[in-house]
Amino acid sequence: MAIDGLIILDPTGRPIIQSSYTTYPAAYPLLHIEALNNALAKAPREGSVDPVIYVGELSCSSACCHVEVGGMRFLATISGDVDPLIAFAFLDAFIEILQDYFGVVSVATLKDNFDIVYQLLEETLDSSGHPLTTSPNLLSDIVLSPSLISKLLASVSPATPGVPSVRQGGSFGSNGASGAFTSPIPWRKAGVRHNHNEILFDVVEEMRGIVGKNGTTLVSNVFGKIESNSKLSGTPDLTLTFTNPNVMTDCAFHPCVRLQKWTRDNALSFVPPEGRFILADYQYRPPQSALVSNVPIPLSLKANMDMGEFGGTFALTLTSRLIKVMENLELKFYLGEDATSAQCTLSSAGSSVGSVGSADGSWSFNSRTKMLQWEILNMRSSGSWILRGSWTSKIKAPRPAHAFQIHFEIPSYSFSSLKVDQLRLSSETYKMYKGVRMRSKGSIEWRW
Amino acid sequence: MLSVDLNSEYRDKRKDAIKRVIASMTVGKDVSGLFPDVLKNMQTDDLEQKKLVYLYLMNYAKTQPELVILAVNTFVKDSEDPNPLVRALAIRTMGCLRAEKIIDYLCDPLQRALRDHNPYVRKTAALCAAKLYDLKPELVIENGFLDQLRDMISDSNPMVVANTVAALTDIHISATSNQPSDSTSDPAVFSITSAILNKLLIALNECSEWGRVAILNALARYDATDDKESEHICERVVPQFQHVNGSVVLAAMKVIMIHIRNLIRKMAPPIVTLLSSPPEVQWVALRNINLLLQKRSDLLSNEMRVFFCKYNDPLYVKIEKLDIMVRLASDSNVDALLSELKDIKAIGQTAILIESAAERCVNVLLELINTRVSYVVQEAVVVMKDIFRKYPLTYEGVIPTLCANLEKLDEPEAKTSLIWIIGEYADKIDNADELLGIFVDSFIEESYQVQLQTLTAVVKLFLKKPDSSQGVVQRVLNTATKDCDSPDVRDRAYIYWRLLSTDPGAAKAVVLAHRPPISIPRTTVSPALLEELLGEISSLASVYHKPAQTFVGHGRVGADSVQRKGSEISDAQKALQTVVAGQQAENLLDLGDDSAQDEQPSGLAATQILPSTPAAANFLSGTSANPLDDLVSIFGGMETMDTGAGSLSTALSPTVTSLSSPFEGFGGSPAPPSQPAQNAQPQEDLLGLF
Repeated sequence: MAIDGLIILDPTGRPIIQSSYTTYPAAYPLLHIEALNNALAKAPREGSVDPVIYVGELSCSSACCHVEVGGMRFLATISGDVDPLIAFAFLDAFIEILQDYFGVVSVATLKDNFDIVYQLLEETLDSSGHPLTTSPNLLSDIVLSPSLISKLLASVSPATPGVPSVRQGGSFGSNGASGAFTSPIPWRKAGVRHNHNEILFDVVEEMRGIVGKNGTTLVSNVFGKIESNSKLSGTPDLTLTFTNPNVMTDCAFHPCVRLQKWTRDNALSFVPPEGRFILADYQYRPPQSALVSNVPIPLSLKANMDMGEFGGTFALTLTSRLIKVMENLELKFYLGEDATSAQCTLSSAGSSVGSVGSADGSWSFNSRTKMLQWEILNMRSSGSWILRGSWTSKIKAPRPAHAFQIHFEIPSYSFSSLKVDQLRLSSETYKMYKGVRMRSKGSIEWRW
Repeated sequence: MLSVDLNSEYRDKRKDAIKRVIASMTVGKDVSGLFPDVLKNMQTDDLEQKKLVYLYLMNYAKTQPELVILAVNTFVKDSEDPNPLVRALAIRTMGCLRAEKIIDYLCDPLQRALRDHNPYVRKTAALCAAKLYDLKPELVIENGFLDQLRDMISDSNPMVVANTVAALTDIHISATSNQPSDSTSDPAVFSITSAILNKLLIALNECSEWGRVAILNALARYDATDDKESEHICERVVPQFQHVNGSVVLAAMKVIMIHIRNLIRKMAPPIVTLLSSPPEVQWVALRNINLLLQKRSDLLSNEMRVFFCKYNDPLYVKIEKLDIMVRLASDSNVDALLSELKDIKAIGQTAILIESAAERCVNVLLELINTRVSYVVQEAVVVMKDIFRKYPLTYEGVIPTLCANLEKLDEPEAKTSLIWIIGEYADKIDNADELLGIFVDSFIEESYQVQLQTLTAVVKLFLKKPDSSQGVVQRVLNTATKDCDSPDVRDRAYIYWRLLSTDPGAAKAVVLAHRPPISIPRTTVSPALLEELLGEISSLASVYHKPAQTFVGHGRVGADSVQRKGSEISDAQKALQTVVAGQQAENLLDLGDDSAQDEQPSGLAATQILPSTPAAANFLSGTSANPLDDLVSIFGGMETMDTGAGSLSTALSPTVTSLSSPFEGFGGSPAPPSQPAQNAQPQEDLLGLF
């Protein structure tokens, strides 16, 4: 496996930062940059450039795997018969690390912190092409984050409460390393101490669905994630049990989870990494019907579309089917390449107290992306929201998208009703604070 | 200015200056003049500053090796630093410098680092040994680093084990690529014994995701002594399917594929999970799934809905999803597939767009025709005609089924389609004259398109089977010229009549002018290649659906040579290459994504540029050989357009549009030149619909 290097391009396609490519000719990274830029320039529209671009100009042949983040392109060059997925997994991990360090990944943050980005590159990718340490946990000991540096500069007294002791002190390296790399557990450093021990779990479930023209659900899947944030001292051995573990199928786990225990007892037994990590991924399949595993979609949309010449009219009615309040509902409708303008009126109806007004929603039309967007911040149960309007188009037969994209969030809710039974801590004696939160979101394609 | 700051007595100022030097270096400015000044800052307690200086050194080591030698002493000193991070950093950087002079100083520190008590230093040293082998293999062997590495497979720290495996694998690859055949005795060869196997299996569950990939790749090379051992390996590897990192999952699948040469049910869930990843990962996963499904199409038959395309999916994902959906089509899920594909035309479009899917599409269509539901049959027949046009002489077997449904057709478009097929394949259909006779009997009642098509088909039949069809052709020409209202039909009938009576040879050349047959393989990849590629799951080969040899050139620049792959060629691979040579002329499913490749354009790419190829030239000159053609080829053109009006112009394939456009231009037909452009738009939108 050989990821030759990583290059970050700014929105205009010029490299901002790249790994050193010491073993390659100088033209090597340039050729890949050029190949990517050419492919992007030639692409008729977004999303039509293959994520793996073959570069065959050099005597060796290689490929360039690229992803887009914040307008920038991150590209990893691979040579030899390497799994491109390694490159993508690495890019993913690297971008996550950058987010961890800088909060926002943008041209500005990367340029401001180029020295840190370089250090991170050196630490995460060996020049022989093997990814090294990508666990944010361990990296934080080798490469200081900008916030920590300023903290160190600002605070004269080294003892800042809440910051693990290993991070303190000016020459962090000497004692940090002994903690990080003598640990027998690759994802957790040894000797972590916290004054306040806590672990939080966020269960985030995302529904992805497609609803057909006739309003029937063609497909809806719920993918869940247990995101954790652990601030526990020592080597905590945890066991997390659920009252209904059977709602989780096709699970994938963080390497810290002992798979045998899961298979045997349906309990998650693990020694967590420090900080944020994803404990498990799963899919929720409703048990009742084995054949059609569709999870009911918590809202419905009625669309009356009328296509005319040089435009069209529409009346969209959204109804919540949920008792809980849905938040940040967002409906997007692509009006087609040649759309010029749109005019809409909002109204709402239904059982709930009829407050018709701007608070209930807003709409906008972006003339650059040709996207009509309708937002409802709070969608109460069983009410109806209506968007009526029309749009104009330069061409006689307008070609809007035949699907609406609907996104929504439901706080304190899970599609699967997954319930944590208890979290036990063995091997350590301190008391810890435990927290579990549920959150759901959805992205539905509604066709017409 | 920078030079002053670099020599400043204040620490912060020096550090800041180094940062600015690196910043200039990044934007391509030559700051090599500051080398001595930067070097002075190498000895520092500040690890961050040290790293930046090292970064600077690495950048200039290639161009100014004589300067780097000045840093050697510091490197050696750092390799004995009490801080393990500094020790590791020194070793890692020395390995990267690739300067001859440095290398000689590397051996002693490396020797120490490989035995360091700190695992971080050991695992860094392991990779460094592989880099040294790349530069000067003899040094690695003389110093016994290889033996040390082998011992490190038993290291107590799983991360060290993983890096050691990666290093030994790198050395193995580099060794076997430089000296062919007799390399079994080479000490650098990393053969995995059953003792090593057990150590790997233990370390597998305990190391990082990248380590797991390295170990899994090594496991994939192991030759199991018997089935029991294979099973044992798989038992230990299958849990890796539950790793969150997709590359671990794919690497695990590769091991399973190699050791039991079969797919197991347990592979399905992780595959589905991969599809909830970002589009780039999805794409790689889909390409691999596509391969797995060719081996065993029922693997995901219950999961088809996962592959439904979303409007927002990038085009490259949509195309793969479509292909896979069609692969997954079976009795149990065909309804779901069809409703997803919205209407039957989409299947035809799928077939035309994705050659490898065509056969499956045809099968789906046949099943539809067998439902004998009138409107379904009609649409299916129309689509079949498009497929016949695109892939002539490929699916003749379905003709009887189509003809059996003749009486079900009442829509003109369906009728013209079937008539076209009968005319085109008149010599293959025993009762073609009877079938066409039915349409001739009802000629007057038929719509104008059907009349035109009937006329042409009967003439084709006559040219192919003159003996049995004299009566029919006489009848149709009579009816068309005497009783028909449409001037177009009458004119065409007159011209055919003239042609047939004066020069049947010319008539034959015109009416039967064949489109160049497009040869396509029946499946995406040949069975032999499939077997090979399945062993390459989780590699670039599996994404390109081509064996590695065809595109993996010569490994890393400088280090390896052309022989890299050549030396590994076994008999099996030689055979495979022959297959590949054949395949290249045909096609793998490459949607033009590898146009940079140095090989015959194939597949869609080839058909797109058809007008400029010799085949296209023949095609065009073939019709122009006869002076009458100018006149008559109008019909050729019209025929294309008539039938095309309903379906061709809406067809997805740019190929079809480009095929028909020379016709139009040549025949001087009234089609405006903007025709292809107009076609392009619905085509794009249809795609967008999926």
